[in-house]
Amino acid sequence: MIQKKICMLGSFAVGKTSLARRFVEGIFSDTYLTTVGVKIDKKVVQVNGTEINLVLWDLYGDDDFQKIRWSHFNGAAGYLLVADGTRRATLEKAEFLEERARKEIGPVPFIFLINKNDLAGEWEIDSENEAQLAEKNWTVFRTSAKTGEHVDEAFAQLARKIVG
Amino acid sequence: MGFAPQRTPEPSDTSSFMADAAKNRSANEPGDDSSPNGSGSLEELRHLILAPEQEALERLHERIENPESRTEDVSGVVAEAIQRRRDQGGSDALSEALAPTIETALRESVRKDPATLADALFPVMGPAIRRSILETLRSFLDSFNQVLDQSLSLQGLKWRVEALRTGRSFTEVALLHSLVFRVEQVFLIHKRTGLPIGHAVAPAVAMQDPSLVSGMLSAIQDFVRDSFHTGQGQAVNRMNIGDLDVWVESGPYAILAAVIRGVAPRGLHDRMAETLEKIHAEYAVQLDQFDGDNAPFVNVNKELSRCLESKFREEKSRSARSYGYALAAAIVLLAVVGGWLGWRSYQYRRWNDLMATLGTQPGLTITSFARERGRFVIHGLRDPLSPDPMKFVNDAHLDPSQAEFHWGAYYALDDPLIQQRAIRAFAPPPGVSLSVNGGVLHVDGRPSSKWLNDLRSRAPLIPGIRALDFGHSTPEQVAFDEAKNRVQSTLVRFPLASSDLSSAERSNLREVLPSLRELLNAPALSRGAVIIVVVGHSDSTGAESVNQNLSQRRAERIVAQFIQLGIPAGSIQPKGVATAEPVRPEDSEENRQFNRSVTFRVLTSSASQP
Repeated sequence: MIQKKICMLGSFAVGKTSLARRFVEGIFSDTYLTTVGVKIDKKVVQVNGTEINLVLWDLYGDDDFQKIRWSHFNGAAGYLLVADGTRRATLEKAEFLEERARKEIGPVPFIFLINKNDLAGEWEIDSENEAQLAEKNWTVFRTSAKTGEHVDEAFAQLARKIVG
Repeated sequence: MGFAPQRTPEPSDTSSFMADAAKNRSANEPGDDSSPNGSGSLEELRHLILAPEQEALERLHERIENPESRTEDVSGVVAEAIQRRRDQGGSDALSEALAPTIETALRESVRKDPATLADALFPVMGPAIRRSILETLRSFLDSFNQVLDQSLSLQGLKWRVEALRTGRSFTEVALLHSLVFRVEQVFLIHKRTGLPIGHAVAPAVAMQDPSLVSGMLSAIQDFVRDSFHTGQGQAVNRMNIGDLDVWVESGPYAILAAVIRGVAPRGLHDRMAETLEKIHAEYAVQLDQFDGDNAPFVNVNKELSRCLESKFREEKSRSARSYGYALAAAIVLLAVVGGWLGWRSYQYRRWNDLMATLGTQPGLTITSFARERGRFVIHGLRDPLSPDPMKFVNDAHLDPSQAEFHWGAYYALDDPLIQQRAIRAFAPPPGVSLSVNGGVLHVDGRPSSKWLNDLRSRAPLIPGIRALDFGHSTPEQVAFDEAKNRVQSTLVRFPLASSDLSSAERSNLREVLPSLRELLNAPALSRGAVIIVVVGHSDSTGAESVNQNLSQRRAERIVAQFIQLGIPAGSIQPKGVATAEPVRPEDSEENRQFNRSVTFRVLTSSASQP
């Protein structure tokens, strides 16, 4: 069994917890987020026929209103960076968090999820922004915690990047 | 360690070195061959002195240089060398040194032909598997026995209620209450990533996903460190919720977390620390380079399982159970003994009542009453005419088989029994009855004087009869009446118009004579003196005066006859009544003959006529 610790970062209300609640296995309640500062769930994915157990640490906070406990980030093999497509500010925050993450644990694989694709008509993040991200070699998925769009693919892609 | 080991020359190396020096000296020393005299002698001398040693050195050199001979030499001592090293106590180092080679060799052997190793292991695989299964079953049975022991007790019922209330199984509740402590789970968690490296869990313990629990335990450690600014190397050593403890031992790369229910001994800390140290010693490199692949740690769970200690309240529960059993047994015993004593007392009371009843019965006298060997033994006296005691036992619905009577015979002096005894002895004739009152035997009716005389003579022999009461039927009176009847029923007939007695009539007179004497000799009693009146009769034929005279003469004739036979003259007197008092009505010649006769009348003084 291969296990990997992955984290989930993002601004407040970008849908991290919804993604975790709906698409991963968990035993802990959401209150852990506001108490311990993290909630841990699990998602099993297949990479080249090998089962990878992704232990997902959903980190609470965005370092603006609520300080992230970066100690929880230690040992992460990769992370999911989440932004809200309907709020451009969350993209900027994601870029900040990515930079901070790199400082904390060095360059590790990550996937950038622009969430709430089910509200595409209200998006503030446009194709120009996405092109800029592509230039930075970010792997970007438009996801929807509501419909499940591209969620599994994002997890699988992160696992592939981690396992190599 | 960062330093290179300093090489010490081996004996073989020294030999090689000396051989090489000898060679070099012989090859490099100049002028040896150019000195034909001195040098030749020296050479010869050297040859003589050193040749044997040099040849030996050369042989040694060749042997050392030759891999085949060296292999042969080592092969001859390798077993002894290993043996000696083991004897010196260096088996651990030896094992560590040999382990990689042996593991590689085994792996290669399996790769080439798995059947070879499988065949070799076949004899030990079966016993090992059976032993493992046996240990597991024994552990399960120990727990199961605890549960069974409690399942039917009062405590067990309380636990059943608790199981219903909390929604847990009875087994789980019973086990929890029976525990002093039990290490339910042990986690080996990689310190940097929070991922589980190993996990061991005790039987029948509900568990969550180890990766999630490990992560959360690790997160809590981070949380506490961040919140309280503790040092990086420090860790939360203990967490407690209710009767659940989480003990944590921290190492450089991993932490060992044990989930404990109950109160564990301090010694468990030592066991955990030893386990963690051992794992760090064996897997230091793998732990340092851990990237989420658990493959190198397949044997770690075996080490963790050694920390799954438990202790049940065996002694306490056993003594408590024994106390409960003893109490229940005592209650049952008390109930049984109490019931038995109550029943025994009740039975005794009933038998005692029976004894009282028997004591009132005529002819039965109880002298002792006791319970012996489960039976009621009664000693007493019994009159043969008393009622059967067993009848009273049956009437009281008591068990006759429990009665053991020992009677001595006696004559009871109770009136009813005296009366029975008298009736049996005298057999009173019809019309006569006997009764006893206060020991006095009363006779009612008109028995014969003979029976009365017999009664009077034998009655004193009947136990209990102290007096006789004949009423008006005294034997004397009855004998007087009988004699009077005999006399008054006597008829002496005469021929027609005659007062002469025939010889036959004279015989009749002699027959009645005893009765006359009996009457005249009877005690006076209340009736006074007795007078025998001889009444002369005649038939109605002829003149009345003639008949009067004839009847008078006939009466006088009889009186004279009796006086002649000894009857006092003053006690007997004639009286002729002619036809005034006919014996029979003269309606036939035969009846008229009865009137030519004499009859007798017995008068007492009160009834006598002049």
